[in-house]
Amino acid sequence: MSESDSSSGYVIELKEEKQVRVVLEWIQEPGTSAQCWNAARASFSMVTVTPLGHRKFRFQLRRMKESVLEESAQVASKEDISQFRNSLKQNICVQMLQEGHHRSFSELFSLLRSDHDRRAAEPGSALQLDVPLEEHREKLETVKLHLSRAEQAERTGSWSVVCEQRLFLGRYFSAPEDQWLRELEEAKQQAELCVRQAEDGGWLDLSGRPLRLRACEALWRIYDTLAAAPLIAANYTEALELLNKGYIMATESEDKHFEGEAAYRLGLAYQLTGDHNTAKKFLNTCMQICGTMQDADGLGKAYKAMAKSMESEGNTDETVHCLEKLVDITRSTGQQDNLADACLCLGNIYYNTHQYSRACEFFLQGFEVACGIGNVDLLQKAQVLLGCARADVKSASPAAQ
Amino acid sequence: MDEQPRVSRILPLAFPRGGDKLCELCQERAHLQCDRCRLTFYCNAEHQQADWVGIHQRICQLLVPIRTPTAFSLQRDGQIEMQLKKAELIEICRSVARRKLSERKHQEAVPAAQFYLRCSIDVLGPSTVQLVPSHLLLAEANMGLGNLSLVAEILSQAEWLVLKSPGCGHAVRQQLHRSLGHLHTATGDLEAALLNFANDVYFASEEFGLESTVTSDGYFLMADVFAKQGKISITRSLYSTVAHIWHHHLSKLLKTHIESVQNPDVMFEPSYDQGRQAEVDEVLGTMLEFEQDDSRKDPAQVALVAHCLAMLWFLKGDNLKALGFGSVALQASQLIPNHDLTEAVQGLLQLVQSLQTEPHPGSGLSAQPSPEDVLHQDSPSFQP
Repeated sequence: MSESDSSSGYVIELKEEKQVRVVLEWIQEPGTSAQCWNAARASFSMVTVTPLGHRKFRFQLRRMKESVLEESAQVASKEDISQFRNSLKQNICVQMLQEGHHRSFSELFSLLRSDHDRRAAEPGSALQLDVPLEEHREKLETVKLHLSRAEQAERTGSWSVVCEQRLFLGRYFSAPEDQWLRELEEAKQQAELCVRQAEDGGWLDLSGRPLRLRACEALWRIYDTLAAAPLIAANYTEALELLNKGYIMATESEDKHFEGEAAYRLGLAYQLTGDHNTAKKFLNTCMQICGTMQDADGLGKAYKAMAKSMESEGNTDETVHCLEKLVDITRSTGQQDNLADACLCLGNIYYNTHQYSRACEFFLQGFEVACGIGNVDLLQKAQVLLGCARADVKSASPAAQ
Repeated sequence: MDEQPRVSRILPLAFPRGGDKLCELCQERAHLQCDRCRLTFYCNAEHQQADWVGIHQRICQLLVPIRTPTAFSLQRDGQIEMQLKKAELIEICRSVARRKLSERKHQEAVPAAQFYLRCSIDVLGPSTVQLVPSHLLLAEANMGLGNLSLVAEILSQAEWLVLKSPGCGHAVRQQLHRSLGHLHTATGDLEAALLNFANDVYFASEEFGLESTVTSDGYFLMADVFAKQGKISITRSLYSTVAHIWHHHLSKLLKTHIESVQNPDVMFEPSYDQGRQAEVDEVLGTMLEFEQDDSRKDPAQVALVAHCLAMLWFLKGDNLKALGFGSVALQASQLIPNHDLTEAVQGLLQLVQSLQTEPHPGSGLSAQPSPEDVLHQDSPSFQP
């Protein structure tokens, strides 16, 4: 206690050991690192400091400090230097190999090589502007982690973990904020691999659902995302091919919800190409599925799309039929947005076929629903349409009289 | 090779004053000289004999023009010619050392490797990365003799040379890491060995591809370290990859071989030299033994490795061994229903049996000596 002179150095409070305060001038010597501090702190609890044993204790601390410094110097000379000097790619690859995950290494290595080759093959393309995959630390770390886990699981025979990890990678690369096409390709491969592996395994995931089905589902999502780009670029052949594959996967996933969704997407795509017959076929499938699933949302979407196809074909009766169905459905489920929309659509059809009073009726319904939910956009639209229709009713009726 | 060295004592008066003569091997003061070239000196008869067997009998007369300064050798043309002669000498030393190593005569390889390094330094200068191959060769020879501290010293020099030239090729780095891995395995530092073999595999993949036999050798060495650490499942997995790479490689060689037998116009005879053959045999043999001792005993792996061995020995011309391993492979592959290997193994067995019943003289099925470059098809050769 007599040693507690804080003027010459740092004071360490030792709560664990009888609140002894020890002055440690040596801490102020150059080269004392935080690591050393921590080590000193940790070992205080081991030593009982008494005025008698103080000299010995101080000697011990000095030795400890030296050894800590020496050790940290050694660490820096091997691991850190190679981390610093070698490329990220090399570090990641070597780590994987060192841990014994050689299959993961070879997968990642091939992926990096194909990325590299693609860049080399298309000089001057947009690809060049992106950062090469081998410089994305976070992505490489993620791939390493999950491939390694999958390999580890494969070795111990826990196939479900293998698939889980591969699925994770598939989803990781198909995440909306990271829709690089070439990585989606990788995601697709991962998921396809998973489907194949899961096929004869019959493994279940944690919630007891067969993994193969989950893999199919993931694969459908990937195909769907992949198809978005060609669809926007009006490259319909490619988009349809992908969406058809997606539809097959969705069917195999045995989840009716996904099957309906996939059929709907396919129907919309065919609609864009002008092939309304095929579009109607898929939309019908979607309707049936949604009907049995009592999925009013899906059913509504399908009827709306169907009405569009009918209208494009000039089949007014069928269009009206579809829209009336849509109105019924949305009214019964209380989807006010869709109801207002459906009413306006129906009003439009009557307006175009000069049945102005019926048109007014539906525009008014639409207007009221829009008012009810306070949707200003729809409300204004309905107002305009209703105004036009009323004007036409007035101008039409005197002429008729 | 039955030619005996001739030796005589150095007569100090026969040489100009100044500069003691030093032993060719140990650089100690010399007392003897080679009586043929009269330009090479030794401290004792033992070193003289070792150098003779190792390299000197091959290069004795080649040293005469190089070590005797003449008026011509001081001119420009003479210097160019001298450089060419030295390059030739270097290549001879390299190939002799390589051959001795592949024959596992490590002791005899040391003088050649030593002289190779010395000549290389003479021609290329003391601090170029091009010296690394000669350092590695010398290290390998000493490794075989168990001079680990010397090996460590040589390799650290090589490491320094590589460190100083960041742009040097993948192949050099790959070889350096492999040598370091061997050293650490021998000293028992398994983590360091693993790190180096991992780098070895990485650079081999960069230089020769993932499926090359160089890469697979790296995998095999890693598997050995993992086995020493008791991580048997990793070893098993690595062995399976190694077996697949060799299977692919040997199947391709076999196909070319059969084509070349059918079509004698093609004079391509791919085969391995004694050393490489022994190495491959050891790799495959180790893996077969491992699999047969293993409690899991995967018949697919047994079939694959045994088929590799059968192909290897068939290419070598040893039909008896080929038959033996072939039948092991067949037995194992029949344990697995619908195994795609069964057909290939049966094909090989039929081929061997048909050859045994009616031997084709000169059909090229016996092992033919082939140039060394063919043997190390996908391994690099450094020529300073």
